[in-house]
Amino acid sequence: MIIFQRRNFMVMTAAWLLPGSQWLARPADAQGATDRASALIKSIGDQLVAVVNGPGGERDKRARLTAIIDSGVDVDGVARFCLGRFWRTASPEQQRRYMELFHQVLVNNITSKIGDYRGVRFQLGRTQRRDDDAVVSTVVERPNNPPTNVDWVVSSPNGDPKIVDVVAEGTSLRLTQRQDYASYLSHNNNNIDALISAMRQQVAEAG
Amino acid sequence: MPATSSRILVIAAVLMGGLSGCATPPPPDDPDAVADYKETNDPLEPTNRAIYAFNNALDTAILKPVAQGYRYVVPGAVRGGIHNSLSNLATPVQFSNDVLEGKPRRAGDTTMRFLINSTVGVLGFFDVASDWGYPNHDSDFGITMALWGMPAGPYLFLPVFGPSDPRDAVGLGVNAAMDPFTWVGQGAAVRALDWSRWFMNGVDQRERHLDDIDSIKKTALDPYATFRSLYRQHRTSQIDDARNDNRATIPVWFPQSATPGQVTYSPTASRN
Repeated sequence: MIIFQRRNFMVMTAAWLLPGSQWLARPADAQGATDRASALIKSIGDQLVAVVNGPGGERDKRARLTAIIDSGVDVDGVARFCLGRFWRTASPEQQRRYMELFHQVLVNNITSKIGDYRGVRFQLGRTQRRDDDAVVSTVVERPNNPPTNVDWVVSSPNGDPKIVDVVAEGTSLRLTQRQDYASYLSHNNNNIDALISAMRQQVAEAG
Repeated sequence: MPATSSRILVIAAVLMGGLSGCATPPPPDDPDAVADYKETNDPLEPTNRAIYAFNNALDTAILKPVAQGYRYVVPGAVRGGIHNSLSNLATPVQFSNDVLEGKPRRAGDTTMRFLINSTVGVLGFFDVASDWGYPNHDSDFGITMALWGMPAGPYLFLPVFGPSDPRDAVGLGVNAAMDPFTWVGQGAAVRALDWSRWFMNGVDQRERHLDDIDSIKKTALDPYATFRSLYRQHRTSQIDDARNDNRATIPVWFPQSATPGQVTYSPTASRN
């Protein structure tokens, strides 16, 4: 946090010291972006809690979760991040199939957890800037569980804020997934088709 | 004391045994693969994977069923109380490390936690201190060495103990040596109590992670690599939390209290 404060301070100082109003515009823009990010997490969080704690069967909940994920998460961006350097070497056909499967894997992983999260509540904390992203801190509380610190990384490259990562107690979901795939690929001759068929099998097993 | 020396022996055996099975580095003409290999920093991967398989078998045969039975038989509130008691017994080690890390406010939190929870909290069963503004935090000799500037080193998978690195493996031994209960008393009764505390710690930790570990094994394509990644990220985050906890030591009643920029730490509840 001290870093963010310092950076804000430096930006402000620069705004005062340097002539030209373009410098004055920056902190205000950043403020707008963090506000939008915070509002997005509030909205997505409320929707998720409503689905998890609400009525309805697993099928119904799954459909509603898919809709929430599609609207709030930059799934394509996360998918590209998780494939890392192999995204560049993949053929367009491989990229397309991978993307499609990744979407289903993500939805499956989230849906398979909802049973454990009944009675969940969350508290919105502060929002900070990190590089070009906004990091929204929340505390997630579940019955019979210690409170968990969950940070939501929100990116808005073209003004439209989207979730790009979820960091639970310091562990990043997308980084963990990327290292899982990287290790799988390195033990399968860096063959992207092997990864795709492993993902397909995962999706098939999840039903 | 016998418990400590046998634990240290196990660690030493792993450090030496580990040297026998090494991963094959990628050819130097493939810069991406070399970068991956360096980032993974797991030169003992074949040995580590063998130990991972061994621990998994041990877990499936003993620890997991015991933890499931524990969850089935003991109500949640009692399990929480047992967890609090075990964590209260660990406060001397926690305190020593807070001091060695040069974190007086954390050491103060730990002291207050010990005093409040041991009395009002009925021998540590209830964590009253957290509600009174003294939240728990992670502190062990691995974190201490990290703050002293010691690098983590390559990944190590220890028999029984699981994910680690040379720094944390040494930390494990030093933590045990720091523990007053390791040195108190002699005889079979004391030794039995010492071992049952370690056993209960294992069961408690395993029970708390029953769902997480199942979910990781189900969703990961390479669970070994996923646990490796999670372990490192979690340790880094614990170390950063300790490093960034620079709350001022000026008492609140002191006229010139802390400057606004200095109070940067907001207490957050911790898992362990």
